[in-house]
Order: sequence, then structure tokens, then C-alpha cells
Amino acid sequence: MKQAVILAAGEGQRLRPSTATKPKVMLTIADKPILQYVIEALAQNGIRNIVLVVGYWREQVFDYMGKGDRFGVKITYVIQERQVGTAQALAQTQDIVENEFLVLSGDNLISADTIARFSTQQPDAILVKRVDNPVRYGVVSINGGMVKHITEKPTEATSNIINTGIYVFTSKIFNSIERELDIPDVLNKILLQGHPITALETESTWLDVVYPWDILRLNNNILYQITASTSGTIESGVTLKGTVSVGKDTVIRSNSYIEGPVVIGAGCDIGPNVYLTAATSIGDNVVVSPFTQVKNSVIGSDISIGPGSIIQDSVIDRGCVIDGHFTAFSHQTEVKVDSEYHLVKIGAILGECCRLRSGVVAQPGAIIGNYCQIQELKLIGGRLPDRSLVY
Amino acid sequence: MCGIIGYIGDKQAQPILLNCLGRLEYRGYDSCGIAISSNTINLFKDAVRVETLKNTTPQFSGTAGVGHTRWATHGEPSLVNAHPHLDCTARIAVVHNGIINNYECLKQQLTGEGHNFISETDTEVIVHLIEQYYHGNLEEALESALDDVEGSYAVIALAADEPKLVAARRDSPIIIGVGDRENYLASDVPAILDYTNRVIYLENGDIGIITADSIKIKRNGIQITPGEHKILWTVADAQKGGYEHFMLKEIHEQPKVIRDTLIGWLSRETVTDSTLPGETAAEAMLLLACGTSYHAALIGKYLAQDMLRIPVRAELASEFNYHSQTLTNTFTIAITQSGETADTLRAMKRSKEAGGKLVAITNVVGSTASRIADHTVFTRAGPEISVAATKSFMAQLMVLYWQMMSHARINTTRLSGLIAELRQLPSKTQQVLDNEDKIIEYARYLSGYENVFFIGRGINFPVALEGALKLKEISYIHAEGYAAGELKHGPFALLGHNTPVIAIAARDSTYDTMLTNMKEIKARGSPLMALVKEGDETVGKVADSIITVPQVDPIFSPVVNTVALQLLAYYTAKERGCPIDFPRNLAKSVTVE
Repeated sequence: MKQAVILAAGEGQRLRPSTATKPKVMLTIADKPILQYVIEALAQNGIRNIVLVVGYWREQVFDYMGKGDRFGVKITYVIQERQVGTAQALAQTQDIVENEFLVLSGDNLISADTIARFSTQQPDAILVKRVDNPVRYGVVSINGGMVKHITEKPTEATSNIINTGIYVFTSKIFNSIERELDIPDVLNKILLQGHPITALETESTWLDVVYPWDILRLNNNILYQITASTSGTIESGVTLKGTVSVGKDTVIRSNSYIEGPVVIGAGCDIGPNVYLTAATSIGDNVVVSPFTQVKNSVIGSDISIGPGSIIQDSVIDRGCVIDGHFTAFSHQTEVKVDSEYHLVKIGAILGECCRLRSGVVAQPGAIIGNYCQIQELKLIGGRLPDRSLVY
Repeated sequence: MCGIIGYIGDKQAQPILLNCLGRLEYRGYDSCGIAISSNTINLFKDAVRVETLKNTTPQFSGTAGVGHTRWATHGEPSLVNAHPHLDCTARIAVVHNGIINNYECLKQQLTGEGHNFISETDTEVIVHLIEQYYHGNLEEALESALDDVEGSYAVIALAADEPKLVAARRDSPIIIGVGDRENYLASDVPAILDYTNRVIYLENGDIGIITADSIKIKRNGIQITPGEHKILWTVADAQKGGYEHFMLKEIHEQPKVIRDTLIGWLSRETVTDSTLPGETAAEAMLLLACGTSYHAALIGKYLAQDMLRIPVRAELASEFNYHSQTLTNTFTIAITQSGETADTLRAMKRSKEAGGKLVAITNVVGSTASRIADHTVFTRAGPEISVAATKSFMAQLMVLYWQMMSHARINTTRLSGLIAELRQLPSKTQQVLDNEDKIIEYARYLSGYENVFFIGRGINFPVALEGALKLKEISYIHAEGYAAGELKHGPFALLGHNTPVIAIAARDSTYDTMLTNMKEIKARGSPLMALVKEGDETVGKVADSIITVPQVDPIFSPVVNTVALQLLAYYTAKERGCPIDFPRNLAKSVTVE
């Protein structure tokens, strides 16, 4: 198999604010968007002919992925103007796919070895996985390695085996797509017609991002697999422990203490006296000022963090300027997303280009929208919509 | 202003020449042609784009040839005026980029001696002069011919009787591409990157003679051994990657261009730059540029005055060449994307002769500008294909911010505040791109008008000029940029309900006067659109429509405002169905004066 169709048109409503201005596949962790991890896993298996179905904020996918040559693949873009489900997205690729191809979603982290095993399957096949919380996925009932039925988001799960959204198909699948919106609907139909579909179970990495704190989970998973590579300038008196990766033109100043895994991008200015602990990823062009502690967080690009700040289990999106003495302690707390409450251990989630004056304190679980401005010494919590001004 | 190409080697020349010509089209595309030698010279040319020529030209066999894609200067775009040009016997072919100033008199003289001219071009005199001097040695004949010629040229000659190509340059660029059992000549590097990445740059006055397996260069009559350069970038950067037009792709690349530029120098100890003189060295500064780069220079002027507190002038290079005064102890910065803009090069030479330090800001490594200047700052924009400059302008601005801020004589609190904002700038620029819906909506409205005014004050006056330039060059709407205060000295007569005005309302010391200007415009009945900072509630009450841009310090407002106006020009042109990447009558870099 040499070709893969990646569905990358999804919006990721429940991930807001992180996805208010970018497609879910472009959420960036350790200096790479999720989509790049997927493409690299494919390229490692010699699958270099990539069809990308894009929609929502597609320009950002174009800007980053280009023709694909940087990743050793050839990308053909297919635009899905309205996001009306995975089956309709797949149908758009009918004219350009080969006889046999892989279908996967661009916002699920998957390892290269999983693809290696699965891509040799006879079509049609589904990759399945056991998870703790199956009710938010399609639950797959299996008999002797063959799929019997897929039940989308059941109220009560009959098993904990779920559909990962990764398939091997032949071009015959297009004959079966009529008005169905999603791929599982199409598969249930052809199962009823007696068409066999095999199921392969994987035990290696497959991670989905649904809620903002999933970004931290993903970050953890990725960072524990990186290898250390340091360029830039590490001043004397800096302690690096564990796996630490530092990008070019970055300076780590004296007496900073970094416990990996930590990834720092290019052109950053860290320290002096900064404490970074596992698992933290920092983008490009970021300043972390003296006496600041960052723990288990994802910091985007173009960010300035002022002196004396404490940031734990938090996500800070690109372009934020934080003056100093910002506090985002992590604690077990209930966070409301889409009228559901979730008990998680979390610090703060900050949208892009926020401006925080000095001494702001964020309560655990605070979700701050994009482009917010917070004045000095404010206590913020709950959910702030985009462009909020806090005086 | 044209693109030229030559090939000699062991392969068929035709497909190679046509492919290279396609890559040179940004230099001109009103007509094109090829000539291929195999005992005789086979010629095919037409007033069409290269893509069309590929399908209409017959298959010529031959392993040596020349090609040309034209941007008309002398003689309208037509089949006869297209290059290559042949001599009376059709044994010699010539392609030329440049302008021959004394061609009228040479043409008269040659016609008197019996030569038969068929085109209106200045180039044709070169080929007839070569014919006049040709006695079996093309190289000698070309040298003698060029002795008679006044003007600028990059020229390649080919004779049916000799297996070689001869090239010469004066004030127009040409490079040699070094291959394996084949060699190339081209106006620039990207043209030949599909085939080789080894390049030799020719200097003014050089004669280059290439055969399939040898390269000979004569400088001042002496044969020299030139240095070979290895090109480390590829043409892959230059494909459209999902976008409909190069222009939109390049607009969207700007956050990355800004970030790449910043990462290079923000990370150093302080903002440092060795290209400007120390505190006391220069008493004044001169900025030289043409076109879009001139608008960057004008913004640079406001920055330099604000940051360095010295007298600064920004001049159009094409006009500076006619200024008569001398310049003493002046620090000069010349800005040219291609590094080949003829007017800018001439102005650079003039200011260098007058003494004082000369720095060039250019996007092309190895360009003529970088060889004239004492010091060159290369912008990190990457290759720019769209004729309408966008990301190269942004990269020029970033270099100017860097130069001015690193020598700023302002208080350190303000400076460190500005640097924190500078870090944020890529994301703020992305924010403009992410909020293009309002811009698209207004572009639809604007596309129905034929005349538009752009007004700005202070550091945003050049942005008004740039906004108008972008709109006119790609959408063909007549657009004028004006300093807001100048509108009442004449242009008011043109206002009315058919002439929209686009006002740039920055939140700086110009804000209140700008509000007054806007009210004056409304009183004359013009539809008024204002570009305002997010959170501004006053302007919306005066203007008919507004487009908001992210909040930034006023000195960075040109960045976000320019990006918004680039998008406006793009979507307006798209609405009108214009050929956005290749606007009529224009070429990417202008190597004629």
C-alpha cells in the first residue's frame, strides 16, 4: 500500500479556545502539529502518496504542510467546503485514489509500528482499540476477527473495543457511499449486505484529542518518546536532566534547571534562574523570564512570560504576553465543557494573543478565550469568551 | 526587462529551454521564443505565454540553443518583436535583456550598409552588428559589436557555424550554470535549478564563452578563473501548495517570514546590528528604493526619525539619479527585493561615489546590489513568485525595525516593551489572516468601483501608498494613496458617491486629525471604510464600514495594516476575475531604467 487519505477537515468544537482559529489537526505539541506526526508515521512505512481532505482553516494546513516535500511525501489537497461527515469527505477523493488505500484521521496520534501492521491487512479492514471510556466513540462488536456492527456513541457500551477511524479500503467503497454522512454508517450498511470487514486490534499508541486537557495527555505521550538534541547556547551553570531538546538560536541562561522531557523550540530566551519540569514543550520565539517555574505544560510560539510566574498543567497558545507574577497552579477540579462536567487535574488554558498584566492569578480549570486582555492583579476563573476585557 | 536562457550540451535543447523559460516568466511574459542550432538556426517565437508556446512550437532537433521571454520596452508585444532575433543570413541568433540607448543611430547606419531590419526592437541592432563583424569567430564579433553599443544588456549570441554560446553583460544580470557535459546561461538562478546548483556570476563587462564541456570568462581582455557558487535552496519552495494563487500563498507565509527574521536576531544578547554606524558616525541617513520597496523605505524614514533622532530622507531611486547635490557623511540604505533593480543600482553607485557607507537590503544572494554595497542584509523571505510583492516587503520592514531598534536612542522601558511586542508580531499577523471574512466581504463591495482613495497619516501614510499600489496592480482599479492632510488640496474635487475612500486610523498622535479628515470625507458623500484597531468604538460611528486589525504599538501598525490591505487587494482582484499572479504589463523585477 502506497497511498493514504487523511481526513483533516474537522473543527474540534470541544477543544475551544484552542481550535477557534486553527484546525484540530494543527494543534502543536513539541514543535510539530498532530498532522505532522501522522504523516511522519506514514512516511516511515513508505506510504508517501498522501491525499489530505481539508476544510476548516485549511490555509494553515497549506502554510505548514505545503507540497509535503519537507516530510518526504507528496500531498494532494482535496477541499471539503462543508464539514458534513467523514463518508462525504472520503467521497471527495474518489477520482484521485488508487485501488487500495489507507484512511485515517489527521487529529489522532498513531505510531509507525501500528501502521506497519495494519497496512498489510486485506481490505476492507478496521483498526480497533480497547479504551477506558468507550461511550464517546463507535463501539465495535466483533466475532472471530470479523466486524459485526458499529454502534456510535452508545448510552451503554457492550464492549470496550472502539473504532479508531483507521481503515483499509479498496476503491469499491465509493460505490457504497450514498447519502450516509459518516463512514461507520456506510460500513454498517455493507455488513448487512453480507460484505466481510476484518478487525485488527492494536495495543500501541492511538490517542484522540477531544478536550483541552487531552493536549496535555498527548504532550506527555510525545515527550516521553523524543530524543535529546541541543543546539543554541547553553550558558554555564545550567542543569539539564533527562531528555531535553533545544532548538537553534535559543539561549538558556545561567542557573536554569531543566528536568526532561522538555522540548524548547528555536529563537527562545530562557532564564536566568528558570525551572522547567516534565513534561513541558515550548514553541519558537518564546521568552521565559527569571524565577519562573513551568511544569507539565504546553507553551506555543511568540510568547513572553514575565518573571516570577508559576505555570502548572497549563496550555498557553501562541502570541500571549504575560507581564510577570502570573500564577496558574494546578488542582483537581470540575471543568464544564458543553454542559458536561469533567473532573480533571489542570491549571489554566489560555487562548492566543492574550495580554496579561502583572500579578494575574488563574484558578485551576480557568479557560481563557483568544485575544483576552486582563488587567493587573485580577483573579480569573471559569470560562472567559474570546476578546474579553477584565478590568 | 526580460528573461534569457542558453543551453549547450549533449541533450536536446528544446525541452530544457522551454522549461527554464517557464521559470523566468516572472521577468516578463508578453511574448517568448527559442532558437536552436543544428547546422542551420531554427527559430520559433510568438506573442504568447511560454505554456502556449510549448504546445505550438514544432520539434527542433539540436543540442544548443537560446530562449527569451519578453517584457516590452521598444516595440509592442508581437511576433516580429519577440526574441530571439536573427541576422540577415539567419546564421546568427541573439537574445537580449536591457536597453540599447543609441539604437536609432546604429540602425540608420546599418540600414545604410544594406542590413534588413524586420522588428521595431533595439535588440536587432546587436545581431546585425555581430553579422557586420563576423569572420568565423563569434566571441570577437560580439565584443566588437558591444564596443559600438551604449546602454545596458545581458546578451547571449549563437552562430550556426560554431558549437558555442557567447554571453556578455553590462548592468543587466546573467549567470552561468555549470553542468556535467553541458552548461547553461540564464538571467537568474531559479531558471536552471532543475538541472544544476553550481553557478558562476558574471560581472559587468565580462564575456563568457561556454561549450558543452568548457567555460571561459574574459574580464578586461584577460581570461580569468571564476569562483563557482553552490546554491543551497531549491525550487520546491516555489510551488503553490494548495493555494489558488502564489500571491495568497505568499501573504499567508508572512507570519513565518517575520518569525524567521526575528529568531535570527532577537535571541542575541541585545538587539544588535553591526550594519549601521556607531552613535556618532553618520549625521544623516538616506534610504533609496523603487516601487513597493520605496514604501518600506518611507516607513523606515519614520522609524529612523523616531528611534535614531537623526535627519532622514527617503528617495525614489529613479529620481535620485537626477538630483544634483552631493552627499557628505551620509549613511545610505538601498532596498531592492531582486537586487537587480536598475534604477536602484544606479543610485547606489552614485551614492557610493559620493562617499559614505552603503548598505543593501535584498532578498537575492549574489545579486548585483549585494556586490555594490559595503554590507548587505539578506531578507529571509524566500523566493517570491507573485509579481505583486507581499512577503518580501514584510521582510524588508522587519530588517528596518531591527536596524532602527538596535540603535534606538529611546528609553529602555519603552524599548523592552517594544521588543516584547515584536515577539508577538507573527501571531498578530496570523490573527489578521484568520479574520479575513470581513475583508472578503468588503472586497466584494469594492470590486464594483473604478476609483479608490487610500489615506493615512504619519507612519501609516506609506501604508496608504502601498495599499493603493497593491490594489491597482492586481485589480486594475484606479487607486491613489494620499497623505490624509493633502486630500483637501485638490483631490476633494474627485470625491463623491462613486469614489470610496479607505482610511487607516492608527491609534497614535494622528488619530484625532484623522477623525476630522474622515468627517470631511463623509460630508462629500464618499463611501468610507476605515481600518481600525480592535476595540475602537469611535471610528465606527463615522465610517460606513470598518475592518479591525489587532492592537499593536503604533510603530508596528504598518505590519498589521499592510497585511489587511494586501488581502483586500487580493480578494478584490479575485472578485473581478483578474490574473492575479501575472498582472498585465508588469514584470517582477525591473532591470531597465
